[in-house]
Amino acid sequence: MAQKIIRSQYHLYDEKIDTMAEVPDSELKPLPKNKDLKVIGKSIPRIDGNEKVTGAAIYTFDKTFVNIAHGRTLRSPYPFATITKIDTSKAEKLKGVIKIIHTYNTNEISWYWGNSKLFDKTTRYEGEEVAFVVAETEAIAEKAVRLIKVEYKELDFVINPVDAAKEDAPKIHEGGNIPKRRGHSTYSRGDFEEGIKNADVVVEEKYITEVAVHNPTEPFCSVVKWDDEQLTIWDSTQGIFSVRDSIASSLKIPQSKVRVITEYMGGGFGAKLEAGKYSVMAALVSKEIKRPVKVVLDRREMNLAVGNRPNSYQTIKVGAKRDGTLMALGLTNYGSMGAYPAGAGAHWPLRSLYKCENVTTSEYSVFTNTGRARAFRAPGHVQGTFALESILDDVAEKLKINPLDFRIKNFAPIDQDSERPYTSKKLLEAYEVGAKAIGWENRKTSGSDKGFIKRGFGLASQIWWGGGYPPAYATVKMNRDGSVQVLCGTQDLGTGTYTIIAQVAAEVLEIPIEKIDVLIGDTQATPYAPSSGGSNTAPSITPAVYDGALQIKEKLMSGASALLEVSQEKLVYSKGEIFESDNKSNSLKASEIVRKMRERVLVATGSRNESTSGYRVNTFGVQFADVEVNTLTGKIKVNKIVAAHDIGRTLNRQTLENQFHGGVIMGLSYALHEERVVDEFTGKVVNANLLDYKIATMLDTPEIDVIIVSEADELVSAVGAKGIGEPAIIPTPGAIANAVYNAIGVRINSLPITPDKVLMALNKEV
Amino acid sequence: MNDFKYIQPENLNDAISALSKDSIPLAGGTDILSLAKENLLDSANVVNLKNIDGLDKIEKTNAGVRIGALTRLAAIASDVFLIKDFTILSEAASCVASTQIRNVGTIGGNIAQRPRCWYFRGDFDCLKKGGDFCYAEVGKNKYHAIIGGSPCYIVHPSDTAVALLTLDASLTIASKDGSRDIKISSFFVRPDVDVTVENLLKPGEILTHINIPKLSNKFQSAFTKFTERGVWDFALVSVGAVIERDAGNIKKGSLAFGGVAPIPWVDKELNKKLTGLSLNEDSILKFSNEVMKGAEPLEHNEYKVKLSQGLVVELLSKFI
Repeated sequence: MAQKIIRSQYHLYDEKIDTMAEVPDSELKPLPKNKDLKVIGKSIPRIDGNEKVTGAAIYTFDKTFVNIAHGRTLRSPYPFATITKIDTSKAEKLKGVIKIIHTYNTNEISWYWGNSKLFDKTTRYEGEEVAFVVAETEAIAEKAVRLIKVEYKELDFVINPVDAAKEDAPKIHEGGNIPKRRGHSTYSRGDFEEGIKNADVVVEEKYITEVAVHNPTEPFCSVVKWDDEQLTIWDSTQGIFSVRDSIASSLKIPQSKVRVITEYMGGGFGAKLEAGKYSVMAALVSKEIKRPVKVVLDRREMNLAVGNRPNSYQTIKVGAKRDGTLMALGLTNYGSMGAYPAGAGAHWPLRSLYKCENVTTSEYSVFTNTGRARAFRAPGHVQGTFALESILDDVAEKLKINPLDFRIKNFAPIDQDSERPYTSKKLLEAYEVGAKAIGWENRKTSGSDKGFIKRGFGLASQIWWGGGYPPAYATVKMNRDGSVQVLCGTQDLGTGTYTIIAQVAAEVLEIPIEKIDVLIGDTQATPYAPSSGGSNTAPSITPAVYDGALQIKEKLMSGASALLEVSQEKLVYSKGEIFESDNKSNSLKASEIVRKMRERVLVATGSRNESTSGYRVNTFGVQFADVEVNTLTGKIKVNKIVAAHDIGRTLNRQTLENQFHGGVIMGLSYALHEERVVDEFTGKVVNANLLDYKIATMLDTPEIDVIIVSEADELVSAVGAKGIGEPAIIPTPGAIANAVYNAIGVRINSLPITPDKVLMALNKEV
Repeated sequence: MNDFKYIQPENLNDAISALSKDSIPLAGGTDILSLAKENLLDSANVVNLKNIDGLDKIEKTNAGVRIGALTRLAAIASDVFLIKDFTILSEAASCVASTQIRNVGTIGGNIAQRPRCWYFRGDFDCLKKGGDFCYAEVGKNKYHAIIGGSPCYIVHPSDTAVALLTLDASLTIASKDGSRDIKISSFFVRPDVDVTVENLLKPGEILTHINIPKLSNKFQSAFTKFTERGVWDFALVSVGAVIERDAGNIKKGSLAFGGVAPIPWVDKELNKKLTGLSLNEDSILKFSNEVMKGAEPLEHNEYKVKLSQGLVVELLSKFI
């Protein structure tokens, strides 16, 4: 099918992403509803499941070469310091050490958008890169790192964003701790003060959420190898093309000379959306020593230096009418970016989730002497939703309105910024089925349970983007035996991308999924697809695969028409075969057509179609939590989470459930356990390991009931799928926090809600 | 990781002599390995004890039971005799860390493990490591001691030690001068006595056996460990209770606490008050107010007082 080039516009936060994209020229026929499909929507096991469970799958972490050398990084032990001297003489004498690079022997390479360098003489957080050692083994490199003597001049530091925002705080960058660009952001609509004035009930509360660390299963790692001028990087990344472009730019070599491969990956959660310094350091040394270099970060490094969810210090003020109408919503927030620019805001849920005419927000993203924040599964929305949904429950209680009725009352039917309709918003349906599934009618007055164990119910809603957008491409090839390959420049973070690609091709071409091979995660072999972020992978790439497969089908039909000498309108495609509608014996198999067309392979590149204009594309949902709190010990047991969401078409019920489970567990872990702890006197992280940084275990995992209330969203794409990675985690902490309040009748305004906080809060009440 | 020499003695005497100079004993290795990885292992020699015969047995004796120090925690948790007659010990062993760790970790190692204080384990030159400052005293001390802390506020991490204290166990310690038995209550060293160690084992000494006196069937016991997550966690507070029952009252009883002090903690005055306690909810609640009476919590760990009290209520209620 013919292609055209358009300006593709996609809304994410305040940004209007505006890129040029090639899309199908004519409108694609939407994929039928799931009930009429054979492969899509079903619980199809992962096509790479076997390789994964048998250990045959090669992750970046597993990649090696016979002559490989190993890199380790020396990192600053101080939160803020300048380097005055680096002495590597002892380290260099260690047998097996090949090369050590640092600021004094390496060309300057700009990093963090010009705010720092690959090796900066000023280190602004504990864990910042100081030197990189390459040695024969990882153990030798590690030992050499400890033999490097660095002289630092320690500087006064600041850890907390509220302190860092003050005039007299130590300045982390010359321009101060609130950068001019995006440091302070505001939003308003209507007249907030007027709204408060006209409200019958006004509630104001402060909320604190802590820094959380991504901690994916697979470490951050790279293997780099030069073949003359060609650089290949096996990287554990969420964006092969973005890593390729950054590394080409850092090394000042053409993008065509950099190949990035991510065949299998053990999670990223947003932290692996950008190129790592370690990849560039390894590439620099590898080129010089003419050997491949592997670098794997350890857990300590991962907890210090490769991203986190920023904390938040939110003050929210809400005004409402006696009948439950929201009159005003106001937010002030401080979030820690860490030492370099990152987004640390959290206002979007307050701005967009419920109907309210008068809204004002003021947010500060502040530099602190801690590891830099990165995108983390629904950036801002998780902490923002927790605070918003907590205060709304408080308001509902004051108004003596059931929390669910309060949300329904303030349902926002259209996008309040643009006043455009949503392509779909089945949130009311989600409320209805979710409430039924959790047994919402069993919710009692907060704190009314007798005995030491008190039960509670809570809910929180969710809004996110996740509709995907062009450009995204997929090449579909049909071989002479009728087997099919799909090539797409996406990457599978572990969510099942391989499988959904194969499902779409199998559905359209009506061939068994076993006959389809999927090649992704290789910049040299595949057409472009976007980074896997914003819950945009499935909604961006599946329509491209759909278009590519349709094009192959069209070619087969056209070929059959010529070969059978029957006009195309009289031909029927069924199960990989084409026959004349009136004369079924006059038929050809797809493989026969390809063979007779004397093509070794039939090739088509599909592209994601444009979303229908005039709408806003979002995902919606609600989660309900059923918890028990032991008032003797402060223990919170989450019995059940019901997740009811509007996320477009379900592509694969099994991997959808997997991803929802992962999101809910991660949300539970954030709500009840996770917190990066920094010692305020030294500015050092005390729990940079997986024992002291507590992630929920299987025994902490509740029953999780996933209910999808949506069918395909045809206004979004021909496939009509939306992303689920982020919707799954957004409402969980808010729902749990509200359920805890309902159980004990005492509000805990900070996350994580740990037993010590519960006990102290209960005690204060007495 | 620092370099070390790996020594594998075949018998107790060789092990004792190997351990007399700049050495650390290796049993299950679950703690030694993490100390080594955190660069906290600075001994020149690591002495593997696992080739020594006979130290991994659970033997029923006339006096009670004798458990070799190399007995795996998993074996203690699943031993039918221990489950029946020394329930509290097998319960404590079964809540240590995770299945994998219990499969290699030993009872001796569990009692003699180093503390988990994040300043001690981390890149901080703290009092225990020869520095002149306890970072926890004014720092992030949520997980630290509320009683008996000064000048170092670690908590003893062992679950089994708490159970053994309530059982009035004794420990056999071998050295070149032969073997001696000491009460477990005198095994642990408070930081005000010597901040650099947690127990009185000296170079050249090996903990070989744990001996537990027989309990008559008038006794009942229970153990509880409170952790922030379901598995693979150290106790915020753990409590062991052994009581002798006289109808609806406690005739005599002993409580011990983990996670509250630098040593597994016994409050003798509190235990005296158990005598005569009626086993009903009201009197247990009243009694629980006496728990951690002498505590001096730090900035972030006052909750441990309440938690200890709450756990005592839960534990004693099991006897109702």
